[in-house]
Amino acid sequence: MNCETYENQLGDYVDGARASGLPGDARLAAFERHLAGCARCQALVADFTSIRGAAARLEEHVPPPRLWTRVAASIGEPQQRPWWRRPLAGAFPSWAPVAVAVSLALLIAGATWLAWTQEPAAAPHEAVGAPAEPDTAPAEEHYEAAIAGLEQLAAWQDASLDADTRAVLKQNLAVLDRAISESRAALADEPADALAQESLLDALDTKVTLLQDTVALAADADAGSDDAAGAAKELNQ
Amino acid sequence: MRTADLELAARCRAGDADAFEELYRQHARRLFGLVVRMLGSGEDAEDLLQEVFLQAHRKLAGFRGESTLGTWLYRLTMNHCLDHLRGRHAKMSRATDSLDDEGTAEPMAPAPAVPPAISRMDLEKAIDALPPGARAAFLLHDVEGFEHQEVAEILGVSEGTSKSQVHKARLKLRAMLRR
Repeated sequence: MNCETYENQLGDYVDGARASGLPGDARLAAFERHLAGCARCQALVADFTSIRGAAARLEEHVPPPRLWTRVAASIGEPQQRPWWRRPLAGAFPSWAPVAVAVSLALLIAGATWLAWTQEPAAAPHEAVGAPAEPDTAPAEEHYEAAIAGLEQLAAWQDASLDADTRAVLKQNLAVLDRAISESRAALADEPADALAQESLLDALDTKVTLLQDTVALAADADAGSDDAAGAAKELNQ
Repeated sequence: MRTADLELAARCRAGDADAFEELYRQHARRLFGLVVRMLGSGEDAEDLLQEVFLQAHRKLAGFRGESTLGTWLYRLTMNHCLDHLRGRHAKMSRATDSLDDEGTAEPMAPAPAVPPAISRMDLEKAIDALPPGARAAFLLHDVEGFEHQEVAEILGVSEGTSKSQVHKARLKLRAMLRR
């Protein structure tokens, strides 16, 4: 028989199969006899074994942390808004805290954009060989400042939200905080990892949006209760 | 394993967000590596895997536990990858067959053996040059470590076809790595 007839047995042999003498192994046993005298098949077995070994040792590709954020968001697609914002659906009034939240977001967007666009210009002044600071650092600082401001506003108005909405918001913030932590961990290992940098900024940006909506929703709830109080007052007069 | 899969699928169907995240965390890592190598691009892999998990979320209602959740997800992923590659192929108007069928004949002249220590870069590049069908079978069998029976189940082919595709892939890789 020629070598081609043993294609499957050659593969099985490379994968570790050996004839055991049982009747079902007759073809494998025949291949082993053929192999003993065939230089071509011996070379194939040696090369395939090297390839199989190298393939099994290939490095892992790690998905960027932002992928989960994207998947979680896409699950809520029919709602047209990201799933973490689903309970917040509705028109938001232009009320004072909303204006503050929007202003903070605009400030942060502007500052982030400036920091991001000015960063490369500063690079040539850095000493060669000095440890590079992650590119995200300036933008991250601005996001953190905005988040701190928005968190304070949200905390002041927390009581205006019902328990269910608070629970959903808390859960969604936890998802984002986890994405932020994972991105930071990835950047700690590899500061120049562009995917991790982008993931981190995506997650921070989403958190700003969520907090902004929280403030707006609380303001909406407050305005609703003020209206109700006003209506009750009118009825009592 | 099947019971755990069925329970996890039931929790996902019931809208338990933690359950779906658990499913994602269990499988995303291995699937991402596979998709990066199938498509040759991390960016495309992200987009495709996002679509796969969205489809999985929608299709979990139809999961009956006949295969493991892992196999089910791999099948969904490979179908997406092969569709994506077929689309890319069509766009590029390349003259190809359905999956593969380029010749696998070995060079007539004696060639040097594959180096015992194959460089990772060389192997990655060679895998990227494989035709989609052979690449899929090779990645599942030799990189991911699935048995031929599982590869056949994931790709929806016979076990013999899986063996033949892996053989074809190894022959092509050998030819590329000996150059």
